[in-house]
Amino acid sequence: MSEANQSTIIQTRDLHKCYWVGTMPYPALHGIDLQIRSGEFAVLAGRSGSGKSTLLNIIGGLESADRGQAEVLGEDILKMGNSQRSKFRLTNIGFIFQAYNLIRVLSARENVAYVCQLQGKSKQQSLEIANHWLHEVEIGHLGYRRPDQLSGGQQQRVAVARALATEPKIILADEPTANLDSTTGRHLIELMQRLNQTLETTFLISSHDPDVKQAASRLIKLSDGQIVDSWDEIPQPPRSLEATCPLRNRPFTERLRHLFTPRRKARQQNRQRTSRHS
Amino acid sequence: MTDAKSQLTAHLARVAIRNLLGHPRRTLLTSGAIALGLASLIFLWGFNEGLHRNMLGNFQNAIIGTLQIHRQGFFQQPDLALTIDNPQQISEALERQGITRYSQRLDTFGLAASDHTTQGVMLIGMDPLNEPKVTELESRIGIGRFLQPDESYALILGATTANNLQVRLGDEVIMIGYDRYGAMIAESFTLVGIITSGEMGLDSGMAITSLATLQEMVDLQGQVTTFVIKVDEQRLPGLVTSLNDELTGQQLEIMPWYSMFPVMKEWVTLHNGFLYLFLGIVLFIVLAGELNTLLLSMLDRTREFGILMAIGTSRRQIAFLIVVEAVTIGIIGILLGTLLGSLIILLTGTIGIDLSTLLGSTSRFYVDPLIYPQLKLDHLGITASAILLASILSGIYPAWRASLLQPVEAIRNG
Ligand SMILES: Nc1ncnc2c1ncn2[C@@H]1O[C@H](COP(=O)(O)OP(=O)(O)O)[C@@H](O)[C@H]1O
Ligand SMILES: [Mg+2]
Repeated sequence: MSEANQSTIIQTRDLHKCYWVGTMPYPALHGIDLQIRSGEFAVLAGRSGSGKSTLLNIIGGLESADRGQAEVLGEDILKMGNSQRSKFRLTNIGFIFQAYNLIRVLSARENVAYVCQLQGKSKQQSLEIANHWLHEVEIGHLGYRRPDQLSGGQQQRVAVARALATEPKIILADEPTANLDSTTGRHLIELMQRLNQTLETTFLISSHDPDVKQAASRLIKLSDGQIVDSWDEIPQPPRSLEATCPLRNRPFTERLRHLFTPRRKARQQNRQRTSRHS
Repeated sequence: MTDAKSQLTAHLARVAIRNLLGHPRRTLLTSGAIALGLASLIFLWGFNEGLHRNMLGNFQNAIIGTLQIHRQGFFQQPDLALTIDNPQQISEALERQGITRYSQRLDTFGLAASDHTTQGVMLIGMDPLNEPKVTELESRIGIGRFLQPDESYALILGATTANNLQVRLGDEVIMIGYDRYGAMIAESFTLVGIITSGEMGLDSGMAITSLATLQEMVDLQGQVTTFVIKVDEQRLPGLVTSLNDELTGQQLEIMPWYSMFPVMKEWVTLHNGFLYLFLGIVLFIVLAGELNTLLLSMLDRTREFGILMAIGTSRRQIAFLIVVEAVTIGIIGILLGTLLGSLIILLTGTIGIDLSTLLGSTSRFYVDPLIYPQLKLDHLGITASAILLASILSGIYPAWRASLLQPVEAIRNG
């Protein structure tokens, strides 16, 4: 793919994300500046817990961030409301997850048709589109099977077909090969690569599967919530915990607990002091 | 709704129904439980209706009729001075209303005397021709027979009274009373029938002779104190209103059975109260059962909901899916339950349910031991709507819960 027609399709700036477990903050991302250009087959690599899923989910509008921006197709997805986000996902983003991605009670083609029907297409038309994409992912003959009648690799192909059926600009795949044996995984990657080339759909895939990394047009290395140039690089420690995990973003219930705990303790201590005096 | 929008709604509804079909056991169990609850509701309500109809019918048919007309105050204090001024006018008014089942009576008190003892009784003069159109007293006479037209000084007594007096069919009974002027009179009667109804009010304290005989005895030729009328229960309130209009200014009391015996009405109301309580409990069980199923089925679909949201299903659409599931389960339950309940009622309603072993001593409350449950359309309508409402309600909470799911959490934890 030539450099000339590659425009920016995903852009994050200074992205921070923090999880709270009780009163304990767990920084997951600090200061992610990432640019993905249209048509890339980009792979997010990094150890488990490095923040791959978190980053993908924020870009896909499934999760909020604590600081920074995430522009997708020129729009800041973090500023959208819930319903706006789900509409945005429906039209612009295709999701593929690690496993058990499909609606159990629907056949393969109905699973694919589901998203087209969500877009308001007729049942007939949606099923035709579904058939087309199932052929594209080379399981056209399995359209009538339900997920539990398909192998893991076949299920992931259905998920790919579903992700593509709305003809989105971006496919986000979170460890799509993690539950597959290596041969099946390789075939899935080859398929995604081929689709990336023929459809010019942008792929952003998280994985620590060497085969996936091999296929990448660009490898983004994530370590402890930061992008690093090489695995030898030790990520900069965050400037301050408050920068990544601002207290004001702590969940409301936790803030309440924080508000009340010290006072109760103070009262207890007071009581102890008075009882000692008497 | 636009075309695309209605297509989308239909699509989501189909997915919801596929979910139910995809879990046939769960769906059938929940719908089946609803159906059983509903069927038992319909049956019980129908049985209750049959019981009331039976009881009220017996009560009215025995002697009091559906409606009585007297001079103002007569019911409280029966007095021969309170005869009806113009019986002809009442007959005409009734005929104009299309009422043919009515009869006239003369009611007073008397003392029945035999060789052994005396007993106070209600002495009723009945028209032997018209009375059988209104009451079924004739059928309650177990020994002897009912009055015959053109028969004078024939007497019918209740079994208890006859026993006390130690008289048998064909024996002479002296009736002592007062005529219209307050003068004491005594006449000799022949016992032709004994009422053996098993109902306390009928078997004791009742003496019946023909209207003409009693009129002659108390010197009130052509006069009556009471009109007894039989109409369908549904016609009753309307008839009371129009008779009141037509006969206004006549100083009459137009009394339906429930004004004369409010206890009966209260009994029915109380009974219905218990029934409605039971209805409420069953509805609550239906609600709790369906809520439980939906919540459980949601729990094992948390991840799926997360995926659905991730690929672009909105929160409202997820909520809609769940409500459609709840309502569909409810509708299947309603169809099965209504069918089952109606079948049971139609079956038991034709052959009747024999409660004689259970009832025994209750017969004094005018219950015939054979109950015919009644199938009523408004019962079906009310129970079906109540269940439908309950199932919508039971869908709303899980729907709300699901719509609050965070897709990421759902996918991670599901
Ligand atoms: N819901 C959560 N609550 C608390 N910590 C979380 C939550 N989700 C992720 N984390 C933490 O955030 C960090 C990044 O997680 P994740 O994005 O899932 O990494 P990866 O996908 O690379 O394995 C990890 O340290 C993880 O433990
Ligand atoms: Mg992950």
